[in-house]
Formats: sequence, C-alpha cells, structure tokens
Amino acid sequence: MVVLTIDGIDCSYGSVKVLEDVQFGVESGEFLGILGPNGSGKTTLLRSISRVLKPQKGTIFIGDADIYKLKTLEVAKQLAVVPQDTPVTFDFTSLEVVLMGRNPHMPRFRMESKEDLAIAKKSMELTGTWQFADRPVTELSGGEKQRVIIARALTQEPKILLLDEPTTHLDICNQLEIMDLIKQLCKTKKMLIIAVFHDFNLAARYCDSLILLKEGKIVAVGESNKTLTSENVKKVFAVDTIVKKHPVTGQLHVIPISRPQNQLQKSLIIHLICGGGTGSPLMKILTDEGYTLTAGVLNLLDTDHETAQLLKIPTANEAPFSPITDEAHKANLQMISKTNVLVIAPTQFGGGNLRNLEAAEKALEKGIPTIIIEDGTLEERDFTKGKATNYLTKLKNNGAITVKSTSELLHFLDTLENKNNKGTHQKKKP
Amino acid sequence: MKTDSEKAHLKRVSHWKLYILILIIAFGLVLVLSLNLGYAHIPFDDILKILAKQVPGINYLVDSSDITQTAEVIIMQIRLPRVICGALVGAALATAGVIYQGIFRNPMADPYTIGALTGASLGAALVIVLGVGVSLFGVNTLQILAFFGSITTVLIVYNISRVGSRVPVTTLLLTGIAISLFQNAIVTFLKVIAEEKLLHGLTFWIIGSLAPTENWNNVWSILPFIVVGATISYFFARDLNILALGEDQAQHLGVEIEKVKRILLICGALITAAAVSISGIIGFVGLIIPHLTRVIIGPDHRVLLPTSAIVGASFLMICDAVARVIMGSGEAPVGIITALSGAPFFIYLLRRKRKGYMA
Repeated sequence: MVVLTIDGIDCSYGSVKVLEDVQFGVESGEFLGILGPNGSGKTTLLRSISRVLKPQKGTIFIGDADIYKLKTLEVAKQLAVVPQDTPVTFDFTSLEVVLMGRNPHMPRFRMESKEDLAIAKKSMELTGTWQFADRPVTELSGGEKQRVIIARALTQEPKILLLDEPTTHLDICNQLEIMDLIKQLCKTKKMLIIAVFHDFNLAARYCDSLILLKEGKIVAVGESNKTLTSENVKKVFAVDTIVKKHPVTGQLHVIPISRPQNQLQKSLIIHLICGGGTGSPLMKILTDEGYTLTAGVLNLLDTDHETAQLLKIPTANEAPFSPITDEAHKANLQMISKTNVLVIAPTQFGGGNLRNLEAAEKALEKGIPTIIIEDGTLEERDFTKGKATNYLTKLKNNGAITVKSTSELLHFLDTLENKNNKGTHQKKKP
Repeated sequence: MKTDSEKAHLKRVSHWKLYILILIIAFGLVLVLSLNLGYAHIPFDDILKILAKQVPGINYLVDSSDITQTAEVIIMQIRLPRVICGALVGAALATAGVIYQGIFRNPMADPYTIGALTGASLGAALVIVLGVGVSLFGVNTLQILAFFGSITTVLIVYNISRVGSRVPVTTLLLTGIAISLFQNAIVTFLKVIAEEKLLHGLTFWIIGSLAPTENWNNVWSILPFIVVGATISYFFARDLNILALGEDQAQHLGVEIEKVKRILLICGALITAAAVSISGIIGFVGLIIPHLTRVIIGPDHRVLLPTSAIVGASFLMICDAVARVIMGSGEAPVGIITALSGAPFFIYLLRRKRKGYMA
C-alpha cells in the first residue's frame, strides 16, 4: 500500500511558470488520468513526480518520504516511468534494454542474475515483446519499441507507474492490449498508475479518476464519471463536445462537435418533425448553417430528443414510449405557428406519432412551406397500414415540396431564406 | 527450460571473457612484433628471452648467455618503454572515446569534441614557442603544461555549460567545439610568430608522435592517471549503458546523472590529458576504436570499456611500428598513420553497417 501525495507544487522552466499549486493524492490500486491541452503542464507534472524536475515550491511524498530527500536509487525502486518516446543511442537488444530495468535492484558490481533474467522475460511475455528479445531496439517499429520500454518499466517491479501518453505510437489493437494490461496490474497487483492521455475516450475507459489541467492549474479533479463533463471539457479545451455513456461499453464517450463560430445567424425558423435519430444529423447541420430550430413532438429519451437538448433546441415533448396526447399536440401546433418552414425527416410513422403529420397538414393549410425529405423507403417506414402514406401524399398534393437529399434541402432553404429577407426588406421600405 | 533468446543472451555474456582473452593474446603478439621492429635486428627468440628474464619466478629458467648487453639495453631501455607508452596512449584515447560517446549519446563525440586535445596543444605550444622547456624530476614542463591545458579546458567547458545544477549535453558539445576553435586559433597564431627552428617541433608535437617516449619516466608519469581514470570509469559502465536511453530515463532507473556525468568527464579528461602530454595530439583513435569494438563486441559498456582499451592499445602499437619503418631512415609522425589508416577503415565500417547507431 502506497500513497502518493503531490503537495501544492509550483514548477518553472527558467522564468516560465508551468505548474501552479498542483495538489492531489493517489493510492495503490488507483488509476489516475491526466488530461489537458498541449502545454498545460502534463508532462512537467510527471517529470516532477518522477524526481527529474524539482518543484520551486511544495514537494512530493511517497508515503511519508519526501522524494527529493530520497536517493535517486531509492525512488527508482518504487517508481517507474514510461515516456512518450525513447531514442536509444546504441544498438542494445530488446532484452538488454529490458534488463536495464533491474538496475535499481542490482548492486554495482553484480551481473544480472537468473532471477533478473526471469523477471525480464516475464515482463516481455506480458507485453508481447519476447519474440524479438534478440533484436536491436534501434531496428524495432515505434509500437514495438514502446512495448519494450513498458516491459522495462515492469521489470523495475515498481509500486508506482507513471505513463506519458504511453500508447500514442501504437495501433488500436496494441493500444487496448497495453492499456488492459496496465489496468490489470493496477487492480491485481495494486499498482498505483498515473497516466497522461491525449484521448478522452481512452482516459474515460481506463481511469478511475481524472485530473483536468489547464495552464498549469487543476481545473477539475475527481471520479472520471463526474469530472469528464462537457462543461469541464469546454472549460479546459475550449471545444464543444457531447459526453454520453456509451450504450455498449457503459463508459463515457466524448464526441467533439464543431460549431462554426462565424456563421451568420439566419432569419428562418424551422420546425422539424422527426424521431428515432432521423432528425439528429439535420439538427446539427441546420444549427451550423445558422437557422433557428424547433422540433416536436418528440418522446423523452428519444435520440432526437437528446440531441435537441444538447444543441439547446426547444421541443414539444411527450412521455417516453407514449402516443401523442392532445396536450402535446397543441403545444406542437403552437410551436409550429411561430416558424417559417416545416421539415419532415424520413422517420418511422406509427400509431404513436401519426398526429405529427396531422400537425403538418394544419401548418400547410396556414401557408407554412412544408418540405418532405424522401429517401425512397416510405413503405418500410410506414407502420400505420398506409395512413401515414396517405397523409404524405395529401401534403404533396396540397403543395408540400419533396427533396431527396440534405444538400437539396439546404439549397431550397437558402432560396426561402433569401425570399424571406427580401420580403422583410421590402416591407420595411414604404 | 530456457528459450533461445535467454540462451542467446547468456551466451553473449559468457563470451565476454573469451573476447577479452583473445584480444589480450593478440595484444601480446603485437607487442612482441613491435619490439622486433627497429634499426638493430634482434630476433624474436632473443626478445622473448629478454622479456622472460625480467619476470621473477621464471627468470632462472632462461638461458640468456647468448644475448648481448646491447640487445638487452635496446629492448628494455628504448623499445619497450616506447611500445608500452604507445599501448597506454592508445588504450587511454580509446577509453576516453567510449566515455565521451556514452555520455554524449553521440557517436561523433571523442576527446577532440570537448576540447581536451586542443587544450593540450595550447599548453604545449606555449612551452615550445616561449622556450620555457625545462626538465623537472624527469618530467618536463611541456608535459606538465599539456596535461594542465587539457584538464583545465574540460573544466572550463563543463562550467560554462552548467545551468544551475544541470549540464545539458548539447550545450556541453557546442561549448567544447567553440572552445576548441578558439584555442586552435591561438595555436595557429603561435605557429605564425614562432621561430623557424621551433616551428618544426611544434608541428611535430601537434601531429602526434611516440618518438620522445623512449624512456621509462614517460611510462611512470602517465600510468597512474590512466589506470585510476579507467578503473573509476569502469565502475560506471552500467550507468553508461542506461544513459543510452536518455538522461530522464537513466534517472528514473536510479542513475544520478549529473554526478555520473561529472565523474566520467573528469575521468575522461584525466586519461586524455595524461596520454597527450607525452604523445601530442594523436587523432582518430578516440573516435574509431570505440566504433570498431562496438561492431564486434556489442554496445554493453561493461565489456566495451576494457576491450576498447585493448584494441586501442594494439592499434596504436601497430601504427607506431608502421611509423617507425615506413620512411626508411627517418620516422613518420604516428598521428598521420592513425588518420591515414583510420579514415578509410571508418568509412568502410559506415558503409558496411549503415543501419543502427551510426544511421
């Protein structure tokens, strides 16, 4: 059982302050991830913990011992580091490099013993590097070399393992294999792991807790689930993201969404009839284009409802898995009456949401331009024994426009937008 | 059950002693061969008898009645000290080369790059040009100034490069090169203003020669420095291995890098200074021998340091032998021989082994 305490450290390179009052604690069996943009001080933090860069203020404790008062060798017995990249100067074989991990445990004048060799071999088998034990590391690929370096760190038999973006050079399969191995060591051998990550999803998948660093200061710290929120990510990385629990893995999933900053706000207000995820991409595209959106009626928990919430689009709502009630229908009509265009997404129609088409009919009667997106699969989407098809045919006969693709839709909306602007312009003139 | 890789590794390590043994035998052969070369012809069996006569325990077995007094004096008082000086200087330069290449993690490094050689030549040039060469207890002022010139230069380079408690190796290399150029300029200036008759001696010294080493005083004056420096550096052989992974990682593995660097730099400087103080500037040995040995033996400094020393010693003995006979009556400076033979061989090595550490 080890406790690592980072006790309010400040670090600088020359006069540039890189870390400011960083303070946290980790203990055996815990997997801590550090996330932050480039230059936020992640690597500096690791260098400081690994006794390479002495902080100007504060210090680091392993248990009760101040690491800057311990000997280098004492720290090396307890703490191993896997850096991002290791340039090896001479052509040592992989096994020779891994055996260097025994250095802190070997007296100065002893050669590597059989035990040392056995430990090295075991680490190499764990990391899948034993098959090139005899090859010079200088001839290995980036991923192979990194696995050798990880084997070297394991050969050190540390209680604490620090990793600086350890899987940057690895392909996805190796990435998962190595991270699974490290996670397993963390849980079975009660190793204390601190790893710097570039990839949110990898961090979310493996870390028990997370630290978000920005400009050398901790912005958020705590359990991964509570720390990795789109608010925190926005604060630290200045990007908009969707943070969701993935339905299959159950882990948090961070999806960056780009929002064009300089897109002009357009005058049209569009109401979207959708559901089951058919509206989500449209919502994103249309908001990016600068249109104002509303949507409904959507069932709560529907993917489109979630997307609307994330994009802050107002919706008319209905309880989960329930048919549209009069109340919701009325709310929807109210919403539609305030919009300039109605768009019907290629969604499934069943007894539950047929009233949305009824709403569309009303809108068209009131003269609101209605656009139907057709993808040629209406038969498969109609679960109302033709009622929905009838509605749509009627709408078309009464002047609704059909489009076949998103680009066609955007093109059409563009003309409407221009017309709308001209209309308001002319109205203002007299 | 042991797997192949384990066996291969154990085999490689167990071969170290064999390599050293073979190299020592080769060294012995070169030594005797070198003693054989010279103006007066002394046959091999006589040389062996003379040598055996000196060894307590077996000297009574040797029948030395047919050996002339002159032959014994030539071998023992003239040729042997010179050959041993050659061996010591060769071993010293090769060892220093291994140390510097290890610390700098740069296959280009050698005693030249850190200013150890130009420092010595500046010291020597001052003594020669200013004509203050006097002998003191068998050691002359030229030797003393060359020695201190070399040591002082390394210390200056080290201190200039220091940032707080750290000495970044790139800064160290660049400072070394800058100081070397600076000192070279002074030496060149001294050459320009030197009197004609002094100029020859200075030029000869700078090219490097073992001709002035034909007495035992030279051996005794450098032996302690080289033995002590080489032994201490051998204590840090494993640290040099680990330094190949970079300084941060070496520290993570328990190496106190700044301390180790300081000790090794001083060892390298001592060894080099002692060597050049009697031989002048002999180039190429410090650069080429570590490479050559690494190709044969591998990069592990625990075996690379001793083997490089033996290979360096043998190489310089051969070069000196060639220098003694190649011009007939006179003698060629050995530094020319090392460069003439070393450069093409070095290029051959580079061409043959393009991959790996030389890439």
